[in-house]
Amino acid sequence: MHVIVATDGSQQSLDAARHLRSFADPARITDVTVLAVVRPLAAVAFADDLAPADRTRAEGESSSFRAAAESAVRVVAAELDGWGPTVRTSIRSGSPAQEITKAASALGAGLVVVAAGGRGLSRTVLLGSTAQRVQHSAPCPVLVVRPVPRPRAPRP
Amino acid sequence: MADSSAATTTALPDDGDLTRSITGRLLFFYVLGDVLGSGIYVLIGAVAGAVGGAFWIAFAVGVSVATITGLAYAELVTKYPQAAGAALYVNKAFRSPALTFLVTISMLSATFAAAGSLATGFSAYFAEVWELPPGLLVALVFILVLAVVNYIGITESVVANMVMTVVEIAGLVIVVVIGVVYVAQGDADFGTLTEFRADGDPVLAIVAGVALAFFAMTGFENAANVAEETIDPARTFPRALVGGMVVAGVIYVLVAVTAALVVPVADLASSDAALLEVVEAGVLPLPVGLLSVVFAVIAMVAITNTTLVSVVTQSRILYGMAREDVVPGVFARIHSSRRSPWVALSFAAVVVCSLLVVGALLNRAGVGVDVVARLATVTVVFTLFIYGLVILSALRLRGHDEADDTYTAPTALLAVGIVGNLVLLAYVVYDDPTSLLWCGGLLAVGLVLYVVERLVGRRDRPHGRARGESTVEPRT
Repeated sequence: MHVIVATDGSQQSLDAARHLRSFADPARITDVTVLAVVRPLAAVAFADDLAPADRTRAEGESSSFRAAAESAVRVVAAELDGWGPTVRTSIRSGSPAQEITKAASALGAGLVVVAAGGRGLSRTVLLGSTAQRVQHSAPCPVLVVRPVPRPRAPRP
Repeated sequence: MADSSAATTTALPDDGDLTRSITGRLLFFYVLGDVLGSGIYVLIGAVAGAVGGAFWIAFAVGVSVATITGLAYAELVTKYPQAAGAALYVNKAFRSPALTFLVTISMLSATFAAAGSLATGFSAYFAEVWELPPGLLVALVFILVLAVVNYIGITESVVANMVMTVVEIAGLVIVVVIGVVYVAQGDADFGTLTEFRADGDPVLAIVAGVALAFFAMTGFENAANVAEETIDPARTFPRALVGGMVVAGVIYVLVAVTAALVVPVADLASSDAALLEVVEAGVLPLPVGLLSVVFAVIAMVAITNTTLVSVVTQSRILYGMAREDVVPGVFARIHSSRRSPWVALSFAAVVVCSLLVVGALLNRAGVGVDVVARLATVTVVFTLFIYGLVILSALRLRGHDEADDTYTAPTALLAVGIVGNLVLLAYVVYDDPTSLLWCGGLLAVGLVLYVVERLVGRRDRPHGRARGESTVEPRT
């Protein structure tokens, strides 16, 4: 089975990859493609929160969203390294939900792994997140990894 | 990290066009939509007032100077297809951090002023549809809504972008059709097209008009936003960029000619929504009321399209500067699930709204300020400065980083472009020195952010790292 792990550069997407690795049987998975989608018309086309902070960067790097996407897929791919399946990386461009769905069809994926939106207000108020749209249109099962809820402070 | 996993991790072979999504056609529409919205709807009255009936010449000259600048951009984008635009080119050419910083905050200031001018223009057309809400309120709400829209990410749809551009073109086609019908009816007095304002020198009048008309061409430089995602940029970028600008220029001149023929210049000059005067002249056999509402909506769509791009550009610049450690790191903060730079978006909205409020307060205090024209002038001052430097950078970077397919702009034209930009800049500053106060105020915003970063920025920088030294990982 070919699994697509989508990353938007967020910590949650890295957690999603870890979650997949924590329970899935690597013997049943032949290939994993770590996919990032650059959004050319967005205010920030791709934001990489996963890059380790202690590195230096080439000149003009901050203006290259593609480099940010490449960095993010590398970090997520490294998380799956040594697990078993062949890990590949891929970067596409356009609307994330649409591109993830297209990639799933093109690669004949058997599972798509996405991270769900944030905690709290924004999840309930703002509809149309990428995860929701992928669930609606993907040609295969979708694993939506939700963030772990913050533990509530116990009442006195 | 990547090295250790090299055995099993491989990038998928580039599946050709799939990995980049901006085709030449999309880029063409992006440029056209961005350019067309910024100005002709907002400024045509002011330009007519400055020049007289011959104001189409001002548009023609402005378009030419801008298009020459576009050639320099095309050359540089094919060499450095990244989203940073002018700041990146100037940095590569001059290697002066101070100059790069100045260009970056100039660009930021230009987009602030442009958004303010466009929002005021939007409110003028809005008043044609619904007069009740005060203009300032409409402009403020407009800016806030656009910030929210960008935050949510609705505008990322390439299709939506194209639809907006088609609507914009439709509006200007309506105007040109009115012109054709008017001429066909034999009512046109072509003498108007060579008339200049009674007072003063025609050449000065044209330069004054060009300086204003130039605002109508700004925005094309935002094409660099999508440079990285353009398919085969060396081939498509010069064509789409220059093609978009030339088409916009031709439309502008036709629209200006029509406006001058159909409506008395004095009426154009005194109108807040001058192109509506053309539609309301009653040339077409359609109900004027309906036509003017439709046209006002089209104008609002056009203005919205361009303002959206400037809001995107603002937040991108702030984000990039925060990543480079020249402004506080908070501007690089990304919302965890929307993936939008919400701090940068909010801050930009606050600055633009402040500009609008300052303009309104000055008006109330009795200092008459035409907010649209003043902010447009401020934008033009900044962009002329940037454009001049970009052309210089293109010339300085000749012989560097060239591939076989790098586009090379004609050198003689670039020289003309530098002179054109400088002459206009000198004139604008000479003609309207108070615009420098506004420019200074906007630049001060950038400087204050820089100072804040110097004072408190050490905290968010890893140990043992100098300022300006990057904190993000390299490309391997």
